[in-house]
Amino acid sequence: MLEFYEPQADYGTPESISTEMVTLSIDGVEVTVPEGTSVMRAAAVSGVKVPRLCATDQLKSFGSCRVCLVQIEGRRGFPASCTTTVEAGMDVKTQSDEIAKLRRNVMELYISDHPLDCLTCPTNGDCELQDTAGELGLRSVRYGFEGENHLVAEKDESNPYFTFDPSKCIVCSRCVRACEEVQGTFALTIDGRGFESKVSASQAEDFMDSECVSCGACVNACPTATLTEKSIIEAGKPEHSVTTTCAYCGVGCSFKAEMKGNQVVRMTPYKDGKANEGHACVKGRFAFGYATHKDRITVPMIRDSIDDPWKEVSWEEAVTYTAKRFKDIQSKYGRTSIGAISSSRCTNEEVYLVQKMVRAGFGNNNVDTCARVCHSPTGFGLKNTLGESAGTQTFASVAEADVIVVMGANPTEAHPVFGSRLKRRLREGAKLIVIDPRKIELVSSPHITADYHLPVRPGTNVTILNALAHVVVNEGLEARSYIEERCDVAEFEKWLAFIGDERHSPENTESITGVPAADLRAAARLYATGGNGAIFYGLGVTEHSQGSTAVMGIANLAMLTGNIGRDGVGVNPLRGQNNVQGSCDMGSFPHELPGYRHISDSATRELFEGEWGVTLDSEPGLRIPNMFDSALDGDFKGLYCQGEDIAQSDPNTQHVEAALRAIDCLVVQDIFLNETAKFAHVFLPGASFLEKDGTFTNAERRISRVRKAMPPLSGKADWEGTMALANALGCEMDYNHPSEIMDEIARLTPTFNGVSYDKLEQLGSIQWPCNENTPDGTPIMHIDEFVRGKGFFAMTEYVPTTERASRKFPLLLTTGRILSQYNVGAQTRRTDNSSWHGEDVIEIHPHDAEERGIKHDDWVGINSRVGDTVLRADVTERVKPGVVYTTFHHPVSGANVITTDNSDWATNCPEYKVTAVQLSKVTAPSKWQSRQKSFNQQQQGLLQGARN
Amino acid sequence: MSESKLERLVKMINQIALNMSANGTDAVVADQVAHHLEKFWSPPMKQLITESFSDADIGLTPLAHLAVQDLLVMRKAKRA
Repeated sequence: MLEFYEPQADYGTPESISTEMVTLSIDGVEVTVPEGTSVMRAAAVSGVKVPRLCATDQLKSFGSCRVCLVQIEGRRGFPASCTTTVEAGMDVKTQSDEIAKLRRNVMELYISDHPLDCLTCPTNGDCELQDTAGELGLRSVRYGFEGENHLVAEKDESNPYFTFDPSKCIVCSRCVRACEEVQGTFALTIDGRGFESKVSASQAEDFMDSECVSCGACVNACPTATLTEKSIIEAGKPEHSVTTTCAYCGVGCSFKAEMKGNQVVRMTPYKDGKANEGHACVKGRFAFGYATHKDRITVPMIRDSIDDPWKEVSWEEAVTYTAKRFKDIQSKYGRTSIGAISSSRCTNEEVYLVQKMVRAGFGNNNVDTCARVCHSPTGFGLKNTLGESAGTQTFASVAEADVIVVMGANPTEAHPVFGSRLKRRLREGAKLIVIDPRKIELVSSPHITADYHLPVRPGTNVTILNALAHVVVNEGLEARSYIEERCDVAEFEKWLAFIGDERHSPENTESITGVPAADLRAAARLYATGGNGAIFYGLGVTEHSQGSTAVMGIANLAMLTGNIGRDGVGVNPLRGQNNVQGSCDMGSFPHELPGYRHISDSATRELFEGEWGVTLDSEPGLRIPNMFDSALDGDFKGLYCQGEDIAQSDPNTQHVEAALRAIDCLVVQDIFLNETAKFAHVFLPGASFLEKDGTFTNAERRISRVRKAMPPLSGKADWEGTMALANALGCEMDYNHPSEIMDEIARLTPTFNGVSYDKLEQLGSIQWPCNENTPDGTPIMHIDEFVRGKGFFAMTEYVPTTERASRKFPLLLTTGRILSQYNVGAQTRRTDNSSWHGEDVIEIHPHDAEERGIKHDDWVGINSRVGDTVLRADVTERVKPGVVYTTFHHPVSGANVITTDNSDWATNCPEYKVTAVQLSKVTAPSKWQSRQKSFNQQQQGLLQGARN
Repeated sequence: MSESKLERLVKMINQIALNMSANGTDAVVADQVAHHLEKFWSPPMKQLITESFSDADIGLTPLAHLAVQDLLVMRKAKRA
């Protein structure tokens, strides 16, 4: 349904969460609101808008603008309605001649120092100052405009996404407060006093040079045109909007895609979105330009060999060609010689279709997903211990946490909107334990200091977790009654004997982990006794050879202390990509059908066989690394890869490239000619999230709608592309809309039985399980009992990785992400986000740098046992001695040329986080980088041929 | 049959067995490892390791060796 553009409703001050209700009268109308509600909000609830400038319901009331004055029976003067809270029996008058005169007088002062250029102003028609002047009936300004003013103040255009025009500023402090209260960065301040007061970024710097992280909270909050998106300045006010879900990280922020026709002119965070509640980050808020970037490929292409030029063809020709080649391969090499990889960037409905096509069309279970290389250990570890492969609490309930553990995650960079929420709780007084080799921002940032930072040596997470549990047990801090009631006590007793062993003590493990025993003991005591404990973890936990063990160690620790199953506590994997949770839920792993049911389970298989009209293979298929190995062995010859760039994101690049070259028919469906597509024989143009309908499921199991804002540039959404290919293969699919796919998922999956597009419209979003027992979804899991019945304490023996530092490779490389770039960077590199991070660099501690004669910005060669690359050095104390760190956002960096194919013992999730390396100063790119450059040039030339 | 392929599988089983080694007696662990392989490995991988098992020393640790024995029994029972 078309939604004409309307600014989102604003009640002026935040909602009160009190359960006590208060009844009062506003303009003669009785209204009942929670205790603690402001008079302004109560008025809004009763349908009366009190004029305001400095108030917005995203921020605490401030009371500076004096426009929202009201009269209250029995009280003197004209109190500000934003800072006055309701009382029982209060009689409020929001309109009178006296009030109107006062408000007009105040407004007159504001306007006397404001340019009167409304008709040419970028926010004309979308400006609270303009609206308020209109509401107050301001017709003239008695003071004139000749006096001293700010009208010639210089604009700051340094930020690529928004302009700061101080001539239009009314110094309401909304931007400053948004930066503090919503984002938690404290980059803005009001500098000076009185007439000299002005908004200032950091130490009176340009926005771009300041600490500003470009989340856009200040722009959202600004009631004038002072802070305005450049896209709005260029294109003008939107005319309609579409509510959808961000396609970047696993927070799953809800947005209004604000449109002019088919052009997105602004992405505004949606206040009713439960994951983000009106906040955003620089990626979701601003980095949407990639969707219409000139590099988009919108026509299907085929070629017989990767040395041939591409040939543009119709969709029909492309899928017919693919189907023939796949069938030929299967008849020559066997049924299991082809497979597919689905993407966590695609919708639930799309990944569901990919696995369906593989199982029902290819006739095997060779389907895997990019979660293999990030959170597959979460699936294994949480399923074994708790019974469900998912996080246990809501993002919002971090507000109830007293002790927060962040392990192997960097929320302010990789999950920034959740990071802001977390920082808000920390500013309120919650305690923080950070377990990470690096000094991430949360360790020390404005108004935030971690109570304990345990700088674990890469590869020793399991030892840290065992030591924490050891302290809890040996000091008698475990939650005995919780364990006895909720957990398998016999297994717990066995585990107790294991964990109580002195070899796990902090003192005995200090030499392994590098973490001082006293700090570890103190952190364990804090987590066990500090009230509600919530653990948030990321890829720094899972991407290890013991990733699954570490996840089980986290679950053990939470059960041991009774920290699962209510608000404010839990175990929460922070998912890297937008739909990692969903792609796993949808049966994308080779061993399980949707809903995490094993393929060998005949009852489940029969259910799907009945729906799909085929017989399913009861044996697991190949995992991604198995596919590569089999390709090199000559057994695996055809691959359909949707929305994933395995040539850049998977470890040991040279091994992956060799495997891709060995494949006879590689089909890539993507929006760009990514690194993988350069090895492809068929390119099917993908659709961005703006071009399709569907759903994403975020890290808190929240299913949210993705809604089409513009038609697919290639004519087909990804689900339609998959459907066309499936039909060409003889696997019949006939869906008219993704809602029909969701209906099928719901029919076949107990945890999704109650999900439908109609219900999503009604509720906004749903956290699964959603079925007849929980028709509105399940915000908190494991409330009365664990999904598996009794919680299982898994043994967590520490097995050191075989990837160890040596004389030849004395440093340990670990990898991660940066705020402005996303994953392999295919999207964000094609936006102005590259202004912040134009290249990947290698962080090295000053001691290690000095030993090697490396200075800041030097080119350094990084050699590991499997390869080498060259990056610029960032000499910094963010990493500790012996550890180096880089990101993998740029293909030319070759970060994964260095990482090995070591992997998690249970799931084969790669050990990205530990690679032994040596660094040295160099003057030229690595051989791989030179080869990559020339291969890239060749492939771009072959693409150009198709386009000419 | 590729030697390097077999070596990879042997390395994986040894790693699985080592990581499960604290779960109980050797017999218990071997059974768990065998179930893990049955649950997560594709048929060609299971086939290769069970077929190669009858050969001489292929590099399996004693625990992993027991596990493959169990897997073999499990596979035979499944076929029967």
